[in-house]
Amino acid sequence: MSTVEKPSAARFVGARVQRREDPRLLSGHGQYIDDVRLPGMLHATFVRSPLARARIVAIDLEHALAVPGVVAIWDGSALNGDAATPLWDWAGEGTPFPEVRALAEGDVRFAGDPVAIVIARDRYVAEDAAELVDVEYEPLQAVVGRELAEASTGRAHDGIDTNVAWSAASPTDPALEAAFAASAHVITETFRQQRHVNVPMEPRGLVAHWERGAEQLTVYASSQNPHQDREYFARVMGLPEHHVRVIMRDVGGGFGQKIFRTREETAVALASRRLGRPVKWIEDRQENLMAANHARDEQMTLRVGVDADGVITAIHASHLADVGAYPLMPAMMPGFMALEVLPGPYRFARYGWAGKSVFTNTSGISAYRGPWMMETVAREIMMDVVAREIGVDPAEIRRRNVIQTEDLPYTTPTGREYDRISPAQTLEAALEEIGYERFREEQARARAEGRYLGLGISTYIEPTAGAQGPTGIEAATVRVEPSGKVNVLMGTGSHGHSLETTMVQVVADQLGVPIEDVRLLQGDTAVSPYGGGTAGSRSAVIAGGVARISAIKLREKVLELAGHLLEAAAADLEIEDGTITVKGSPGSSIAFADVARIAYYDPSRLPEGMEPGLESTSRYSAPPATYANSTQVCTCEVDVATGEVRLLDYVVGEDCGVMINPMVVEGQIAGGVAQGIGGALLEHLAYDETGNPLAITFKDYLLPTTEDVPDIRYVHVETPSNTPGGHKGVGEGGAIGAPAAIVNAVADALAPLGVRVTSQPLSPDRVLAMIDDARSA
Amino acid sequence: MKAAPFDYAAPTEVDEALALLDEFAEDAKVLAGGQSLVPLLALRMSRFDQLVDVNRIEALRGIELVGETLVIGAMTRQATIERDEEVRRHAPLLAEATRYIGHFQIRNRGTIGGSIAHADPTAEYPAIALTLGAEVEVASVRGRRRIDAGELLESAYTTTLEPEELLLSVRVPVWGARSGFAVHEIARRTGDFALVGGAAAVTLDEADAVARAHVVLFGVADRAIRLSSLEAAIAGQPVDQLDLAELAREATAELRPPSDVQATGAYRRRVAAPLTERLLRTAFVRARRAGDPTEEAAR
Amino acid sequence: MSKQLISVRINDELFEGEVEPRKTLADFIREDCTLTGTHLACEHGVCGACTILLDGEAVRSCLMFAVQADGASLTTLEGLAPEGGPMTPVQQGFMEHHGLQCGFCTPGFVISAHAFLRDHPDPTEEEIREGLSGNLCRCTGYQGIVRAVQRAAEITREDVTA
Ligand SMILES: Cc1cc2nc3c(=O)[nH]c(=O)nc-3n(C[C@H](O)[C@H](O)[C@H](O)COP(=O)(O)OP(=O)(O)OC[C@H]3O[C@@H](n4cnc5c(N)ncnc54)[C@H](O)[C@@H]3O)c2cc1C
Ligand code: FES
Ligand code: FES
Repeated sequence: MSTVEKPSAARFVGARVQRREDPRLLSGHGQYIDDVRLPGMLHATFVRSPLARARIVAIDLEHALAVPGVVAIWDGSALNGDAATPLWDWAGEGTPFPEVRALAEGDVRFAGDPVAIVIARDRYVAEDAAELVDVEYEPLQAVVGRELAEASTGRAHDGIDTNVAWSAASPTDPALEAAFAASAHVITETFRQQRHVNVPMEPRGLVAHWERGAEQLTVYASSQNPHQDREYFARVMGLPEHHVRVIMRDVGGGFGQKIFRTREETAVALASRRLGRPVKWIEDRQENLMAANHARDEQMTLRVGVDADGVITAIHASHLADVGAYPLMPAMMPGFMALEVLPGPYRFARYGWAGKSVFTNTSGISAYRGPWMMETVAREIMMDVVAREIGVDPAEIRRRNVIQTEDLPYTTPTGREYDRISPAQTLEAALEEIGYERFREEQARARAEGRYLGLGISTYIEPTAGAQGPTGIEAATVRVEPSGKVNVLMGTGSHGHSLETTMVQVVADQLGVPIEDVRLLQGDTAVSPYGGGTAGSRSAVIAGGVARISAIKLREKVLELAGHLLEAAAADLEIEDGTITVKGSPGSSIAFADVARIAYYDPSRLPEGMEPGLESTSRYSAPPATYANSTQVCTCEVDVATGEVRLLDYVVGEDCGVMINPMVVEGQIAGGVAQGIGGALLEHLAYDETGNPLAITFKDYLLPTTEDVPDIRYVHVETPSNTPGGHKGVGEGGAIGAPAAIVNAVADALAPLGVRVTSQPLSPDRVLAMIDDARSA
Repeated sequence: MKAAPFDYAAPTEVDEALALLDEFAEDAKVLAGGQSLVPLLALRMSRFDQLVDVNRIEALRGIELVGETLVIGAMTRQATIERDEEVRRHAPLLAEATRYIGHFQIRNRGTIGGSIAHADPTAEYPAIALTLGAEVEVASVRGRRRIDAGELLESAYTTTLEPEELLLSVRVPVWGARSGFAVHEIARRTGDFALVGGAAAVTLDEADAVARAHVVLFGVADRAIRLSSLEAAIAGQPVDQLDLAELAREATAELRPPSDVQATGAYRRRVAAPLTERLLRTAFVRARRAGDPTEEAAR
Repeated sequence: MSKQLISVRINDELFEGEVEPRKTLADFIREDCTLTGTHLACEHGVCGACTILLDGEAVRSCLMFAVQADGASLTTLEGLAPEGGPMTPVQQGFMEHHGLQCGFCTPGFVISAHAFLRDHPDPTEEEIREGLSGNLCRCTGYQGIVRAVQRAAEITREDVTA
């Protein structure tokens, strides 16, 4: 493996540097959205539909308005007109999309649909009044269930005479059918994934402040990308962009749920403008589980052809997604992304696909950590199904199909171009670390004693830093202040990602200054340059890349000026620990801070033509995608008397290129794995057949705890990417790979009983039911 | 998620509390540890005009052995019970079961009186009260009475307490020599309410035959239930000759447990049998050990 | 419904306030005392983010009403270490082992870990996992948190022997 060229004085990149954000967060001095308090601030809450689908017959506000402390209550007909309609529009040719408005108007389309906004002196009073808003509903037939939606006689939306939101397929391909016909085995299976919720520990929320005089909307947002929020509010509220300012400070997690601003947030901003006062809305957990956007809820059928040795000859994949009523992305996205990424880490030539998304009267789908990950779920579980069917070891079948270094560059059947990846290496590394052979022996011994142990593997290639529109470019302003201290200004939206540390590591290395002398300022559109925020595993690659570019540019100026002052060539200088020295003559040096002071205060000492000051802004446009790769392997024990699953060991082999901070990389992986464990074993936002959500408290929506996530071990492979720092993204992989690894482990444990596992979550009752079904079959 | 308004009083004497409960009757609610009541209020699933906070009534706290009965004040915290030496010695089942309740932060506030009065069908304490044959002492302005746990637990979240009655204490009989106990449950996660749980208390005679047995399951009906037919079937039988698996299967075959998002009723019934078997097995082993003088000394 | 006057000692400072009985202790701490280091992530007792020390014991501040704390002495995250002074071993452990990402669950974990370590000064990993199972974190997968608590126990032991 080639090693990346690191700057000569690299001290911070690659090191487990402790986080700069920690002291404030550990002492209770973070600034989350609910910590924002403005003079005259009012509090909002929403009246929400208890029904999935109904006509709104009448709304009576009289009693609610009489509650002391209530300032205003508006329903859709009173407030929606203040904003552009639709709020977002992802209709395309043959793909309808509902008219999205801040509040429901005329009818409601999911349980939790906001019907009215209540503004009051405090949240307690607002909730008192919300209870008294009297809404008369005429129930309609709700469309519920991904597999029932298309044929339902009900309609999820007025004005859209179908529940099919998107449907497409690859052209018929005789070569594909021929490949299947020539295959030694063709195996078909359908895999299902239940509805999840992202569940950031901090729910949604904002403080919107319409400043009358300045005609400016200031929004304190719990967001992943302030600049796109600014565009959004400017557009829907008809404001010039420079009269909108979005500020995000500490954000308590997002995982995709906080990428786009939602209907409720829009209503709050509209209310603030009407009242000319700051309005705060803090979503409570019940609202978050019921009405913030959900995720997953999809299934995929795979038809896989293999030759006698288990080498894949052809795959056909068809995907069905329930996107709910108001998806926070185009309806095609879950399916299209999953189908496009499906070929993953394996070599095969023939591929066909079909996808369909349906609207239902449930909360809309949004991005959630690896929103395409159904491809890994289906493909990796299928690899084990095939392996078992044809009698090949599951590690071996992957070895026979995985892309090798000598295959690179490699183009997938869907046109993705891989280079600088190492899926074969991460597969082997993970298997070795878990002790594959040893486990198989242990498993055999356990089986002899009537205990059921299993091992599951999941291998995948993760497209990171997908560069499209605003997310493909990032800017960094690196500013050495007159004292020599450094501010880095970026348009990122770190919300747990440690960018205040990692970006500073990158810059401090390039400028040769102590890490304490550098600070990242992000999250304020009035301060930072336009950027794409933090999502899609983009920050290390794109933000890290541009931080480096901008710092290098500034370093050149620093050296040029220092060379001029020291009467030496810039090329002969080095910067270390805040001092610039002529290489080989330690006596000839100048402090970084002195160079900075001169740059600002002493123009007469600058070289001819040099602009005073020390500041550089760069923009970097990233390649379409940067590929990370990984294999997760875990082991488990299943109690066949109770159906309980216990994870025993967990290993992740990962190649995310050059690691800026391995501690942060491992943290990202671990968090994703835990979410995958939740999805595989615990989490399920179930609806009953009328569209009533059944898990809207933390007593019912089960997040994994310390007892559910085992100790995770990591093996790092570092194959640099072709982006400036050699980094690849690592934000989503943990969540992408985990469910399949766990499902495979459980299936492996239960293989002697003839159980095939194709759906989640693997709750004890479902595990036992699967065992019973297999026994009676 | 904010509670609806209420008035609040925090009496320091039992009589004051009883007077308030009498005055407000259905509109009043006792606030103990708040670990069940406060979430219900916050979610606005319950509302009351008057909360009577009994946390400041010293007389409701404490653990005392009175003759052959362990008397535990209603406001004794679960955390106190978990650590208490008297409880460990005289009602080890209660101590053992306490660890299954939520998490230590919950147990720092939650009380035994609150747990039992709340009558959650999947909660541990009501089931343990039933298993050990405990009584509760309750009072109203009209006087005091004792209610057997079996009569107290009526249905899900419902007891035979009158709204103006206050639970004062839980009276747990001490089981004699050669007694053994077991508690076990299956839950989705550590600290969650049980999907299915159970407890057993047995006493063996000198010949290792069953002198007394109480076997209780929770999570399988609208309240904790005793498996009376099983208890009758094993009474007087030598332990070694019992086909526990078969007995457990028979005793649980007629159960019709409820379904919810966490598990189906069929699942609950299915695992009730192995659970019951396991409880009895463990209780018998412990009962024998409790009678073994060398083991006693070792403890 | 009538407000009540209460006084509560928080982090060694006396706070007095007039509160509606229904106001939770968490809201009182955050709003009336502006100590926003205590977080609310569920308000129904499950997540543990709002954990504080009430007369030394770890409790959920969302499951108490402020009136109930009248006369009590509380510690919140802000009060663990002296302002500007050294971090506690628990805070130090969290910093060294990446025990937090977004930081939203952190107040509850740090406070709970303090109470836990007081009762289990030399815990096994199993005990730590059981002890902290009443706190939810969505970011870290608990890896750094478990290690942070192990490290805190180690630092405390070193401090005692030193
Ligand atoms: C996250 C979490 C997990 C939990 N897990 C479990 C678990 O696994 N198992 C379990 O059993 N419990 C669990 N609980 C509930 C906990 O044990 C409660 O403490 C208990 O159920 C109620 O006790 P309390 O003292 O908190 O009562 P409160 O909540 O104050 O009151 C509960 C009810 O009992 C009534 N009441 C209380 N005291 C009296 C009295 N003296 N006289 C008359 N009526 C009275 C109240 O009016 C109210 O109706 C959990 C709670 C939480 C928040
Ligand atoms: S906010 Fe109190 S436990 Fe979640
Ligand atoms: S660090 Fe984000 S929830 Fe724990």
